[in-house]
Amino acid sequence: MLKTLADILSDNWHWRSQIGRLAVFELVKKSRGAVLSWAWFFIKPAMYIFCFWFALEIGLRQGSTDAGAPPYILWLAAGLIPWFFMQDILGAGVNVLSRYPYLVNKIKFPLSAISTIYVTATMIIQLMLMAALFVIYFACGMPLDIHLLQVPLLLAMMFIFWDIFSIMLSQLSAVSKDVANLMKALSTPFFWLSGIIFDVQSIPVDWIQTLLHFNPITFFASGFRDAFYNQVWFWENPTACLGFAVVFVVTLVAALFVYKRLHEEVPDVL
Amino acid sequence: MSSNDEAKKERSLTKTSVSDEVVIRFDHVTKTYHLYKNDKGRLLGVFNIHKAGYLGEVNASNDLSFEIKKGEAVSFLGRNGAGKSTALKMVTGVTHPTKGTVEVNGRVSALLELTAGFDKQLTGRENIHLRGQIMGLNKDEIAAIEPKVEEFADLGLYFDQPMRTYSSGMRARLGFAFAVAIDPEILVVDEALSVGDRAFQKKCIARIREIMMDENVTVLFVTHSSSTAKEFCSRGIVLDKGTKVFDGGIDEATAYYEQHY
Repeated sequence: MLKTLADILSDNWHWRSQIGRLAVFELVKKSRGAVLSWAWFFIKPAMYIFCFWFALEIGLRQGSTDAGAPPYILWLAAGLIPWFFMQDILGAGVNVLSRYPYLVNKIKFPLSAISTIYVTATMIIQLMLMAALFVIYFACGMPLDIHLLQVPLLLAMMFIFWDIFSIMLSQLSAVSKDVANLMKALSTPFFWLSGIIFDVQSIPVDWIQTLLHFNPITFFASGFRDAFYNQVWFWENPTACLGFAVVFVVTLVAALFVYKRLHEEVPDVL
Repeated sequence: MSSNDEAKKERSLTKTSVSDEVVIRFDHVTKTYHLYKNDKGRLLGVFNIHKAGYLGEVNASNDLSFEIKKGEAVSFLGRNGAGKSTALKMVTGVTHPTKGTVEVNGRVSALLELTAGFDKQLTGRENIHLRGQIMGLNKDEIAAIEPKVEEFADLGLYFDQPMRTYSSGMRARLGFAFAVAIDPEILVVDEALSVGDRAFQKKCIARIREIMMDENVTVLFVTHSSSTAKEFCSRGIVLDKGTKVFDGGIDEATAYYEQHY
């Protein structure tokens, strides 16, 4: 198990420059064939945020009740923007090997690094969206705050966790299409059940709250909200941190088990 | 080694010298493919739950052992399904042996399925950069091979068009041009000489010959044509059902192959 972990880490380190360049190629490919090319990375998220803001604040009058609170749009954007990253991983990220068949069985390339390519590419988009989030943040008249320092940490955690997740699920979905289909089917439920458009802390039933803390999507969405909106440290909620730690360890162990079992077999199957 | 050298030199078209350094070593290599009735069986099977749906196993390579020295040109002979391509795939590192070890020292450039392995959305030029980067070449090296590839593939304006607009021949030309441009240490050629029109084929054969003249390059060759094998190679390995049945000089090997199969 530990050897598998060491292998994955050394592969990713050894191929780091190739991973970086292939991630850029991935973005080039994504923006290819459209006149607005790079602008599309922003247009879709902007539409999303606008729709939810319109539906929730204008339509359902859900927004902030106390007068002094920061604008509702900031609360929405801080939760939705990390969701865009996670949505991409849950969609294409779990089936990443079929995206790069030539790296799997035509050229010698470590399979775990293929996930890292895609997660890196998605992270580059996420960083651009984060920059936009900072623009929204300051446009809302918020001050430079020390709690913003946890943003890079959260981004790094998000990168590592979802990379491990993608390594595990992409191996499985290479063997069986069920995995990718399952994840596709679960994407929408995850969105509505993970506290991206509601505050988990405000659920009155305790056990539901605790259960949701074991959901990494909830952890990241509320973590970014803590930084941008509530202005508290995410570790001030020990249940959430504990829940995430448990899920992280379980995912890591499962991923190592799956990778060890499958990575030599996958090129023959795909 | 010297007497060996002399003999080789007489064959003006084949390799000029062979060193003692072993670049490829197969040590009791077995490659087993497990066959299942469907994907569900496979999913259960990889977690060692062999129940319904398991059809059996096939050994594509069976206890295969050989050594290839630096500078040798070796031809693999055998019928379809004899395990030639599987062996070459293990040399390139895309498939792992089930049992035994495969040792390869040197940069491998493979001419396996030339038309595969390019990204159809990217242009020919971008694909060359991408491939070069995957192989770990630095910027200068890529800049150096780019004009070589462009000239060799001779695609004209299409070199800067997305590859989905290419014909299969054009794709193969680009693949071949890249594989021979990077100055490989080990060149794997799998039935790749039949690409393109006759003029291009001639160019390919001339280029492969040029590469093979370099005493530091090891060449592995798969072909069904005895004359091509004799033209390029000095040693032949005959495979049958994944097992090595003959290993020796190319003339004896082709004779053995023609006699038995």
